Amino acid sequence: MSDADALFRTVNLTKVYSDGSVNALVDANVLILQGQYVAVMGPSGSGKSTLLNLLGALDRPTSGEVFFQGQPLSAMRDLDHFRARQLGFVFQSFYLLPTLTAAENVQIPMFEIGIRAAERARRAAELLELVGLSHRAGHLPRQLSVGERQRVAIARALANRPIVLLADEPTGNLDSHNAAQVLELFDRLHRQQQMTVVVVTHSPEVASRAQRIIRLRDGKVIDDAPSFSTC
Amino acid sequence: MHFGTLIVKNLLRRPVRSLLTATGVALAVGAVVALLGVARGFEDSLLQVLQVHDVDIVVTRAGKTDRMTSVLDERWGQLLAGLPGVEAVTGALMDVVDFRDANLIGVFIQGWPSDSFLFDQLPLRSGRRLHPGDRQCVLLGAKLAEILQKTAGDTVQIEMHPFRVVGVYESYSLYENRSAIMPLEDFQRLMDRQGQVMAFHVKVSSGPVKAAAVETVCRHIENLSDQQGRRLPLEARPAYDYVKSTLQIRQVQAMAWVTSVIALVIGAVGMLNTMIMSVFERTHEIGILRAIGWRKGRIVRMILGESLLLCLAGATLGTLAAVAGVYWLSGLPVVAGLVQGKISPVVIGQGYAIAVLVGLAGGLYPACRGARLSPTEAIRHE
Repeated sequence: MSDADALFRTVNLTKVYSDGSVNALVDANVLILQGQYVAVMGPSGSGKSTLLNLLGALDRPTSGEVFFQGQPLSAMRDLDHFRARQLGFVFQSFYLLPTLTAAENVQIPMFEIGIRAAERARRAAELLELVGLSHRAGHLPRQLSVGERQRVAIARALANRPIVLLADEPTGNLDSHNAAQVLELFDRLHRQQQMTVVVVTHSPEVASRAQRIIRLRDGKVIDDAPSFSTC
Repeated sequence: MHFGTLIVKNLLRRPVRSLLTATGVALAVGAVVALLGVARGFEDSLLQVLQVHDVDIVVTRAGKTDRMTSVLDERWGQLLAGLPGVEAVTGALMDVVDFRDANLIGVFIQGWPSDSFLFDQLPLRSGRRLHPGDRQCVLLGAKLAEILQKTAGDTVQIEMHPFRVVGVYESYSLYENRSAIMPLEDFQRLMDRQGQVMAFHVKVSSGPVKAAAVETVCRHIENLSDQQGRRLPLEARPAYDYVKSTLQIRQVQAMAWVTSVIALVIGAVGMLNTMIMSVFERTHEIGILRAIGWRKGRIVRMILGESLLLCLAGATLGTLAAVAGVYWLSGLPVVAGLVQGKISPVVIGQGYAIAVLVGLAGGLYPACRGARLSPTEAIRHE
């Protein structure tokens, strides 16, 4: 792996929560290349979500640094803009706005990048088609199945054409059929659009779709190896 | 989808709470618009009386806060009439009486000399105007005549004295239509104020710059001295200033504002409570919006937008209620002619401006609180 191709590089990344009693992440050094599909695994409390939050600039490290395309996040003046432009987030519980339709939910991130309403609507329609939900565009979240909700959330994550997708337990609330659909979608995004995908999961099945698996325990990286399915 | 659509949908998420909050604002703004509207209507009506009669300056006793108690020597009118730039002067006496049989309180009675220029702009509906030498006669305003069910030729009791109605006039002013006019001498005798007037109404000669001429005449009047060289206790004000500084109008306005401020504080606290609850309930959601790149400023705009929209909806409801309420009030015989049935657009504008202030006051803290939420803390919030 070469540093020149690095999308994310962390150097001695450490996160201690405010009461000082929990070392969520300890001296983590991770390199994620452009276009890679990476799974982050580990038991509960191992620091998986903390790592994802730090990569996604949702939280600040206690020490150490995250570099994105060689730039330290701590030196970035506008992390909101960074998140809006470069990153797409997918959460375990979808977090769609309940009073907005699927199409409207997909448009939410686009408010930050200054595109016109007509363009927002056109782009949302395209993304819903990509996730196979064109026919559900006018439905509210409560009218959608859990699998459909997660696919709307993925469409929302792709709204601003990010270069990396950060997913925290994206199949955690889904049955096997819907989970397979979501993973298939991630595969397609990675294969067809060369999107970098970082998935936090405790499921070996989900992790097996990735090219690499980073394993954490007690906040430390204990293993970083290619997935068996790609070996 | 437009940003405004999101704001509207957020409010519709809790329709009952939004409706109750808007109703609270409506009550506050409605109270402001109604009270200020009535006060302003009273002021406009009084000003209209002076404007209709071409009165440029009102002269009262200097140092008197309440002009109703102003006492001036009737003869000083001749000194005023001799000043350069003065076209006409008339002394006037005014007081307030009740017609208890008709359940009518606070009716203004004016005493004018029968040759006063004020009669020039007083269209008669029936009967005739006052003539020199008329005694125990009165002219009734159209509204007063209607309420008292009197017409020319009838007799009306004022302060337990009979007066013959010689005519009924229809003024442009609502306030004047609810008053009565009698010969100055009769009124002086009735009020036991022989030789006295309350004010002099002065008409200034037309010139190229009327306002400047009015100011000059005011200065001349205030510098007038008697034969012993003592300065006369006169205060001369242009008609607009006179109305603005009238004690009763200032009192009505002060009461309107005090009541309004209380109503507004209650409205703002209600709004604050609603928006804090709303932000607390949506902590999770705000965390997600921050995570997907929404800036703090956009969170502030969203929450403030909700607060302002609620206030504007409340202001619209309140204004409609106030307009309807004041219109209804103006039709009640007991206040007919005192309360104008319409509310000035300026007052309605003030109501909306205040609603915006309530929206900002009630929404700013919750908006800042929402924007300060850390995305990860907010997402973890249960």
